[in-house]
Amino acid sequence: MRNDLRQRREERAWTQAQLADRLDVSRQTVNALETGRYDPSLPLAFRIAALFEAPIEAIFEPDGADLDVRR
Amino acid sequence: MATGVGQARVMTSNLDTRAASTGDRRRSRAYLAEFVPGIAAYVLLLSAALLWGGFDGTSPGRFVWALLPVLPMIWIAVAVLRHLRRLDEYQRARTLSGLGAGFAVAMLASIALGILQSAGLELEGSGFWIYALGMATWGISAAVTSRR
Repeated sequence: MRNDLRQRREERAWTQAQLADRLDVSRQTVNALETGRYDPSLPLAFRIAALFEAPIEAIFEPDGADLDVRR
Repeated sequence: MATGVGQARVMTSNLDTRAASTGDRRRSRAYLAEFVPGIAAYVLLLSAALLWGGFDGTSPGRFVWALLPVLPMIWIAVAVLRHLRRLDEYQRARTLSGLGAGFAVAMLASIALGILQSAGLELEGSGFWIYALGMATWGISAAVTSRR
């Protein structure tokens, strides 16, 4: 999954630590999210969306493999 | 314009600081406040047991002395569990994965040593080997995942 978390954080001039405190997670977790090494749980994704006042799908974009479902 | 770009670069660099968050520091302090007394008590009780436990004697009391350092280890185990509950979802997953690797290696070591001893191999302090291997695996796993 891709996301524009880093861009949104920098637009607000927040450090990773400041964003981490706002989301009640560690700075390491923010870094893992921004670099795409970790996809958040749904509750955390909702917290991120609430903080940036944007829908989840505006922040997170699925990769091709994420949409690989059998109908 | 050039100054603006320069300022933007400085700002981005400042924003990229790896400094721990307030929450990170709070969680670390809480963990250390619980972990350090446990390890200190362990060292004290282990020293006392080695000094006065009479391990080379025949008194049954030596077994009580031998088990005394285990009490603070229980405290430490609870401190680790409480720390796990304080971690966020990403850190918890990574920590549990390291603990799982340590557990798997400790179990493999214990079954291997058990079979070797059944086959007649005499090993002094095999329990310590299992402990050391499990803890080392946890430590290495934690170090590797924290570098990712």
